Amino acid sequence: MEPKEKLQSSYINYVLLNGEQPKSVFVFARENELSEEEFYNYFGSFEGIEQAVWKDLMSLTIGEVKNQEVWPEYSAREKVLSLFFSFFELLKSKRSFAAFNLGKQRRSMGSPKVLQGLKGEFERFSTEVLQEGLESGELMDRPLLSKRYKDALWVQFGFVLNFWLKDTSAGFEKTDEAIEKGVNVTFDLFQRSPIDNLFEYGKFLAQNSGIKMPF
Amino acid sequence: MSENIRKEQNSIPTGKVQRSAQFVKTGIKVGGNYVKHYSKKLFNPDLSRDGLNEENAADIYNSLSKLKGSALKVAQMLSMDKNILPAAYANQFSQSQYNAPPLSGPLIVQTFRKYYGKSPDKVFDKFDLKSSNAASIGQVHQAMLNGKKLAVKIQYPGVGEAISSDLKLVKPFAFRLLGMSEKELDIYMREVEERLLEETDYELEVRRSIEFSKACAGLEHVVFPVYYPELSSKRTITMDWLEGMHLKEYLQTNPSQEDRNKIGQALWDFYNFQEHELRAVHADPHPGNFLITPDKKLGIIDFGCIKEMPDDFYYPFFSFTEKSVLQNKEETLKAFRALEMVLPTDSPAQVEFYLRNYSEMIELFTKPYTSGVFDFSRKEFFEQIYAYGEKIARMPEFKQARGVKHFIYINRTNFGLYQILHELKASVRTDTYLPNLQKAS
Repeated sequence: MEPKEKLQSSYINYVLLNGEQPKSVFVFARENELSEEEFYNYFGSFEGIEQAVWKDLMSLTIGEVKNQEVWPEYSAREKVLSLFFSFFELLKSKRSFAAFNLGKQRRSMGSPKVLQGLKGEFERFSTEVLQEGLESGELMDRPLLSKRYKDALWVQFGFVLNFWLKDTSAGFEKTDEAIEKGVNVTFDLFQRSPIDNLFEYGKFLAQNSGIKMPF
Repeated sequence: MSENIRKEQNSIPTGKVQRSAQFVKTGIKVGGNYVKHYSKKLFNPDLSRDGLNEENAADIYNSLSKLKGSALKVAQMLSMDKNILPAAYANQFSQSQYNAPPLSGPLIVQTFRKYYGKSPDKVFDKFDLKSSNAASIGQVHQAMLNGKKLAVKIQYPGVGEAISSDLKLVKPFAFRLLGMSEKELDIYMREVEERLLEETDYELEVRRSIEFSKACAGLEHVVFPVYYPELSSKRTITMDWLEGMHLKEYLQTNPSQEDRNKIGQALWDFYNFQEHELRAVHADPHPGNFLITPDKKLGIIDFGCIKEMPDDFYYPFFSFTEKSVLQNKEETLKAFRALEMVLPTDSPAQVEFYLRNYSEMIELFTKPYTSGVFDFSRKEFFEQIYAYGEKIARMPEFKQARGVKHFIYINRTNFGLYQILHELKASVRTDTYLPNLQKAS
């Protein structure tokens, strides 16, 4: 195991066994037979380790889903679904840590700080997949809005993560349902919908019948 | 589609599409109720779910009453209206909840990873991620392994848990809508819930499918797919792919009377063999559960719903198929008491009333059994049953639910069988597998 990974898993073990962070970097480094200085070569702080755990999990998932044989045949919708399913499957092995880690985050607007690294990975992935979807015509290119699609996916991700933390069903089947239904709804909104047609119709009327639109 | 719905008034919808047309509508309404509920809740966070549940129950009940075809008329006749309703209600409910869009490819991959530890294309040589059929609580996919064509049934996630929690939520309102007390209906409701939950247990279904197909292997013109327990799991069932047509399609090919009789006979034998030899029966005679194979055999593809019959139900119930029993008042009354069709609290006048009416309808209903050969194409028989059912439905004495809980599924099974045979216009020998009324003690 790489020293970096070793530090990560030893940190996870520590917080799970003790229910709190180690007293100081010094103590923690010493327990791992490192000097404090060496520790800083790998991480800047304990928060840095936590962020890395999340981020690595996401990169691992992305690598894994892209490796599937069916990947090139999947639509954008299916690619995102696949990422969600695989991520929460992998996260199962770290459920206690996730609950502990996210539980101690103070409720505030926006996403928890520990998820920052993960968010970067996630957004890179979604941007790429969404771009493909826009190019293939699967998704509707709307001025201004299509740039925000990835934010909608991120919100969806946060929602499922919270749902999963509270999910008590066997095998987290409810989470599977939440993903399937939630991601599908989100993608339905990304696609051409009656609203688009309505909007276009309004535009057409405004241009052709001299009706002044109230907006 | 709208035409189909209109037709439902005089015939029970049999095609999957036809039935689901009704269910889809309910599903949409129920979905709408949720939306309505949550938008109200935005402004009034204290709003309880009671209103929502009631609205759901009402919508489900409404669409259910549209389905009230001949099956329910007969149920009324047997004064089982109120105990068959919860079954129909529950079915309706679970179906309206689960006429979900097909599962996405990634979810299927996910399900496989969960239960097999690898993706479907690693388990099989070839696996079609697009489903070929919808099953009631899942969907069917085609796969290939070692040159063999297989059918893989995958259950929608969360169905099992949802069934019991949903039933519990809507139950009190359902009772009120049906106009009876919860206590009165509870034993029937529990019976239904038990069966519905069994249907979600795929491991049980595989075990039973293997057992039943083995036990029924000797029957002529009946075929079963081979099941593969090692390729099945809690949420998936793998079996051979049976080629064939569903009943509706088959009838459109204008089969000869000889072929109809052959299929009809196979169906009759299949059911009566189970009831009288195995004392447990495939209790879902829905046309979608059968296939007519290219060599004109009856293929049976779903063992999700099995009803077992205990002795204290079997003997009194089937004793009526012997003419002598109905002619002997004492014997008849004994059987009625055992089946709780006559209750200990009934007054002598009531006993007399129920005795007369139940005897009359049982005589009608057991006609196929007492005839030796019975022609199910005869409309008169069914018309007689319906007419009788309507008459009885108007009698206040039959407002109360009567009879032991086993009636629900056994009546559904037997009447379902009559209905399919009627559709087939088959004439069958009904003395092939007779009730075994000698107690083995």
